[in-house]
Amino acid sequence: MADLGRAALVVTLGLSVYALLAGAVAARANRRRLADSARNALFCSFASTLVAAAVLAVALARHDFSFSYVASHTNRALPTAYALSAFWGGQEGSLLLWLLILTGYGALAVALNRRLLRDLTAWVVPVFGGIATFFAFVLVAVASPFGTQTAPFDGAGLTPSLQNPYMVAHPPMLYLGYVGLSVPFAFAAGALLSGRTDERWIVATRRWTLAAWTFLGFGQLLGAHWAYVEVGWGGYYAWDPVENAALMPWLAATAFLHSVMIQERKGMLKVWNMVLVALAFELSVFGTFLTRSGVVNSIHSFARSSIGPWFLAFVVISSLFSLALIMWRLPLLKARTRLESALSREATFLYNNLLLVALCLTILWGVLFPILTQLVKGETRTIGRPYYDFFLRAFGLPLLLLMGIGPLIAWRKASVRALARTLAWPIAAAIAAGAALVAAGAGSSRPGLIAYTFSAFVLATIVVELVRGTRATGSVFALVARNRRRYGGYVVHAAVVLLAIGIAGSSAYSTTVERRLALGETMHVAGYSLTNRGVTVARKPNVTETRAHLAVTGPWSGSIASGNNDYVNPPEPSREVGIRTDWARAEDLYVIVDEAHPRTNLIYVEVLVKPLVNLIWVAGLVFLVGSGIALWPDAREQRRLVTRLVPAAP
Amino acid sequence: MIVAGLLLAVAAVVLVALPFLRDPAARDDRLDAPSEAEERRLALVEERDRALAALKELEFDHRTGKIADGDYRELVGPLRRAAASALRALDAEARYGAAVTAFEPPDLPPEPAPPPDEGTPPTPAPVPEPYPPPDEATVPAPPQE
Repeated sequence: MADLGRAALVVTLGLSVYALLAGAVAARANRRRLADSARNALFCSFASTLVAAAVLAVALARHDFSFSYVASHTNRALPTAYALSAFWGGQEGSLLLWLLILTGYGALAVALNRRLLRDLTAWVVPVFGGIATFFAFVLVAVASPFGTQTAPFDGAGLTPSLQNPYMVAHPPMLYLGYVGLSVPFAFAAGALLSGRTDERWIVATRRWTLAAWTFLGFGQLLGAHWAYVEVGWGGYYAWDPVENAALMPWLAATAFLHSVMIQERKGMLKVWNMVLVALAFELSVFGTFLTRSGVVNSIHSFARSSIGPWFLAFVVISSLFSLALIMWRLPLLKARTRLESALSREATFLYNNLLLVALCLTILWGVLFPILTQLVKGETRTIGRPYYDFFLRAFGLPLLLLMGIGPLIAWRKASVRALARTLAWPIAAAIAAGAALVAAGAGSSRPGLIAYTFSAFVLATIVVELVRGTRATGSVFALVARNRRRYGGYVVHAAVVLLAIGIAGSSAYSTTVERRLALGETMHVAGYSLTNRGVTVARKPNVTETRAHLAVTGPWSGSIASGNNDYVNPPEPSREVGIRTDWARAEDLYVIVDEAHPRTNLIYVEVLVKPLVNLIWVAGLVFLVGSGIALWPDAREQRRLVTRLVPAAP
Repeated sequence: MIVAGLLLAVAAVVLVALPFLRDPAARDDRLDAPSEAEERRLALVEERDRALAALKELEFDHRTGKIADGDYRELVGPLRRAAASALRALDAEARYGAAVTAFEPPDLPPEPAPPPDEGTPPTPAPVPEPYPPPDEATVPAPPQE
């Protein structure tokens, strides 16, 4: 079995190298059969990678411990779903998943565009071939998932924190996003290499970019929810370098999704868009490097390895390649029009882009700083939460405001008078919301109050925009159907508002109390009373579960338990928190028992009351709905594309 | 398993070589890249689509009150001229090729006089859908010279 997996990966490597070299020669020398052959090599590389992935999946499902990877990441007690999720629980498996998605995406994107964009795809194939060559090489020569050994009786098992339903979905979702960003990159590079920098590459990759961005965004929310329920520190985002690794390409892709609309409408920002596409791709590879190299301290320490230098070399080479390509084609990327007014939709998109990229680069600096200080001074200086929180407020709040102004401002040029008239209702709604919040006592946190007020403003602008659009077209369904991308985008804006409210509420207005409680003792937190009812210990085949039980009275009455799990295989502890959601009050009671002594029934407990935190998870669902609307195929648009690309009969 | 790996490799080689096996002595082995004329047509089509989309956006922004009547009147003329110019250039390209693509149309007559009251904007003239398929196209009437 392992031999077949190894052979399949070697075949993939050979095919990828061929797609790279033959594809480049064919595109350069204008040779059709060679280009078709290189394209077939890309298709076949997906098939051979699929064979390799199937071999690993079968080995995981059968607990075949003769595979070192299977023995290192699973054991017999592991349910099949988690055994299969070990595919991406370790470094080699997750790299194989990268390659599988990359070759799959590449084959599909090239197949879908091979007739309409034949000249462009001739150059896209070698770009995909180049990226696949790197990953196939790493899997064949550096980190193979098909190493074998004498099979032990049982495996080492999967890290307990990864045995969670969210971890079954979170990593593949992130990979679908990370790797998805290679599609716009490959087409952009293909456009530059071929010298055909018209809009076809944008039209061809619009949905790919949106899909990758959706996967990446939703994947991060799944990861945040996993951290909230599993890691047990009471939060959902810790500005961990590996978390930031997923956020940075998402921010760059968000900037691109906005700025590309200006290129489509006005033929401007061509260089900027190329830079953003390259930045998003490089950050996605850099993110994989951060996750897999162990170069930074992270809670994702289960993913450390020695493949870092290979990734770093790839990031450097591909960044230089992108930069050189853009510089080479600068004359083709000149804009033919200019920004007509600083008060226009395109100007707000530009401001939005600057803020998004500034936030992205600020986070990048925060991630790189410890690595650079280690290299330069030999000591690691980490950047903490206050740094990130400051820049999140500095760039995030203006972004939130722009999200409200943007939809209501006209393209090309808007007058102050028209803008004031359009914004009157949203401003009134924001002021009313702000005053009501101050009256309700929300003035204790200025950033929180600003975030809430801006959120009210944005929600009001979305409502105003929908009402006016519906009046103009006669029906809200007709309105959305005529421009799915725009109105899907507004739904996504609503999701971001819910996210902002959830983050502001759960961070600026949360209450935390830590206490040592003896048996029968009671503590009071934000209207709740919690009484220690004792500690129990349950011994199961692979785990000892210690739980402190607390009786709760207040807004609701009942009991809540929290404690630790001590696993036998792998021998690791896992903190188990108690969470009770009160939907009527829109808040969570979050209980963390740090220590529980079964003999004395003494516990050390931290209790958090987190208002509005669940809006963050609701935002994830709204985000999916909005992205779904924007992604939904539009037959009219397809017809337009075909008439644009296929010359009409004379 | 080694046999299966070899079979996989052989199948891959056959599929990769297929374009040469199917057509061993191709008469024309060039990639069908767009000709210069086709690239010009594509550029003009993009220009047309952009101009028509901009007109549609402007009309919609005006109807939803995002743009004042004065700004609307100031912007709609150049946009209509740009759209008409792109359509004419595209038509000329299709009929006569590159020789007349650079044709510059004469200026259109000035826009109608502004309405007396900005509070009641005029009903805008119907504007064609952007990127209309040939069978659905509603090309604006040519200017009166």
